[in-house]
Amino acid sequence: MSTSFILRRLGYGLLLMLGVVVLNFLLIRLAPGDPAVVIAGEMGGATEEMLESIREEYGLNKPVLVQLWIYVSGVAQGNLGESFFFNQPVSKLIAQRIGPTILLVISAQLLSILIGVFLGVIAARKPNGLMSGFVTVFATIGYAVPVFWTGIMLIILFASALPIFPVEGMQSVKLRDAPFFTQAVDVAHHLVLPAFTLAIIYLAQYARLSRASMLEVLGSDYIRTARAKGASERSVLFRHALRNAALPILTVAGLQFGNLISGALLVETVFNWPGMGRLAFESILRRDYPTIMGVLFFASAMVVVANLLTDISYRWADPRLRGRS
Amino acid sequence: MTALLDINDLRVTFNTRYGEVTALDSVSLNVNAGETLGVVGESGCGKSITALATMGLIPSPPGRIAGGSIKLAGEELTGASDARLRALRGADIAMIFQEPMTSLNPVFTVGDQIAEAIMLHQKVSAAQAFKDAIALLDRVGIPSPAERARDYPHQLSGGMRQRVMIAMAVSCRPKVLIADEPTTALDVTVQAQIFDLLNEIQREFGAAIILITHDMGAISEMADRVAVMYAGRVIEQARADDVLDAPQHPYARGLIDCIPALGKGETELREIPGVVPPLHLLGAGCAFADRCAHKFARCESEKPLLADHGHHPAACHAVEEGRI
Repeated sequence: MSTSFILRRLGYGLLLMLGVVVLNFLLIRLAPGDPAVVIAGEMGGATEEMLESIREEYGLNKPVLVQLWIYVSGVAQGNLGESFFFNQPVSKLIAQRIGPTILLVISAQLLSILIGVFLGVIAARKPNGLMSGFVTVFATIGYAVPVFWTGIMLIILFASALPIFPVEGMQSVKLRDAPFFTQAVDVAHHLVLPAFTLAIIYLAQYARLSRASMLEVLGSDYIRTARAKGASERSVLFRHALRNAALPILTVAGLQFGNLISGALLVETVFNWPGMGRLAFESILRRDYPTIMGVLFFASAMVVVANLLTDISYRWADPRLRGRS
Repeated sequence: MTALLDINDLRVTFNTRYGEVTALDSVSLNVNAGETLGVVGESGCGKSITALATMGLIPSPPGRIAGGSIKLAGEELTGASDARLRALRGADIAMIFQEPMTSLNPVFTVGDQIAEAIMLHQKVSAAQAFKDAIALLDRVGIPSPAERARDYPHQLSGGMRQRVMIAMAVSCRPKVLIADEPTTALDVTVQAQIFDLLNEIQREFGAAIILITHDMGAISEMADRVAVMYAGRVIEQARADDVLDAPQHPYARGLIDCIPALGKGETELREIPGVVPPLHLLGAGCAFADRCAHKFARCESEKPLLADHGHHPAACHAVEEGRI
C-alpha cells in the first residue's frame, strides 16, 4: 500500500469536505423558517426589536456570502460555531454525542456484513435450495420495511411482550457508577435492538449481493482448480471464493455507510439513543443552523473516512489493484 | 495386468431442460504408468467430461455418473465418498486445465497456491511447503523462483502460469496426470516447451498422462495411444502411430485430413462439414451419420460399436462392411 495513494485520497477527501461545508450552508439558508423567531419564542415573546437584536447577535443580518465566509473560515480553524439553542460550542455538543452514534453505526455495519455475507454464502452453496429461497424472501422484506417500523416492532416484541431488552436509552441510570465492565455489558444490552433495527435493511442487501457474487465466483475456473487440488468444500467457499466475491460487497459497504448514518438518525429517535442523529433531528425542529451544519459536517467526515477505508480494503482484497511492484 | 487407471463402460448424464441427456455413453479407456493416452475430438465430444468424471468433479446436480466404473490402481472411484475423492484429488490424480489465465486464483500468490496443494496432502509446515513450492517452480523452469513464488497470477505471462499449474499438479507426485488442452491458450513456441516439460516430468515421476486435445500435432508428439471421441463415445482407439497412419473411422480420417500440411501448395484449410449434433437430438443411429460421406441405411438405424474390423478398433458400419 503506497503512502502517496493514501495521501492523495486524503487530499480529495479534504476538497470534498470543503464542498460539503459550502453546500450544507447554502442549502440550510434556502430552507424556510427564521431561527430568530424560534430563539425569540424560546425566550417568551417576539417583538420586532427583539428579533432584530437576535439577528444582530448571531450575525444573521449580514449578507449570506459574508456569513458563509465567516463560517467556512471558522470551520477551517476548527470552530464550528455556537449553538443557537444550547449557547454552547457545537463541537462540544457533538463531542458528547458522536461516540454513541459511532458505536451504533459500526455495530450495525458489522452485524449486517457478517450475518448478511454468511447467509449469502450459505445460500450460494445451493442456489435452488431452501436457504436460498429464504434469503431472497428475507432480503425483499428487509429492504422494503421502513426502519422506524422495524424498530417499533422489535420494541413491542423484545422489550414489551418479551421483556428481554430495554425499551430505550443507552445506559441504565442505576448503573452510572458501576465498574467499567458492568457498564459495558449494560451498554451492549441496550445496543442490541437499535443495532439490529438499523442492520436489518443492509443485512438483507448484503445477503442478496453476496449470494449473487458468490454464485458468479463459484462458476470460475480457479474454483475448479481448488477442488481439483482436493480442497474441502469449506475452504473452497470461505477461502477461495469469498475473498474474490468480497469486492462488490466492499464497494456496497462503503457506499452504504452514508445511508447507515442517515438511518441512524431515525433509529436514534425511535430508541431515544443519545447520539448525533437525535441532536440533528431536534436541531432541525429548532432551526439551530450551526448545530445542524456541525452534525452534517461530522456525518460527511465519517463517510469520507469510510470511503477511504473502502479504497484501502479494496486494494487489500484484490492484488491486481495494487499495481506492479 | 490391470491398467493403472481403468475406465470401463462409463456413462454420465446431465439433467437439462430437454430432459436427461447422455454426455458420455459406454466410454472405456485405460492408461498405464509412464504411458501417455491422447484423447482427441471436437469441442463438445465429451473429452473434458471424461476428465472431470475421473476427478470426481462432475457438477452434481445436474450431472451424475449413471453407470460404469473408474478404477485407480484397482480402487473403484465411482461410488467413493467425497472425503476419499478429496484425498485422492491432487495427490494421486491431478489435473492441468485449459485456461492458465483463469485457472489460478487471482487473490493468492502462486507460491501460496502451490504450497496449499502440498499441505492438503502432506504433513509439512507452511514454511516447508512454501520452500517445496519454490523448488517446484524451479523444476518447471521458472527463472528466479523464490521471487516469482511471491507474485500474483496477473504478474505472470500465460506460459509461466501454465508452468505454475503444472508445478501445482505434480506437487504431490500424482500417479495420473490429466492435461486438458494444456496448450490451447498458448503461443506455438510456448506449446512446444510445455510438451517438453510434460515429457520430462513423466520420465522423472513415472506418471500416466491423459492428454486431452483437438490438436493432432500434439498427439503425434506426445501420445503412445489415442482414443478418438465423438458425441460422448469413443469411436476409435489404438496406438498413436496406427491412428495417425491409418485412421479407420471417417471422423478420425477427417480430423487427420484437417491438419494443414506445409509446402503442399494448398490454399484452403480443410474441414469436416457440419458440427457435433446437440446431445439431446441423438437418434438411434450413428451420431456422425449426418456429416459422413460414407453413410448408408444401416448408419441411420443402428449405433456402431467399437470393435476390431481388421486394422484396429473403430466404431463404424462402413469400416465393418469393408465399404471404405
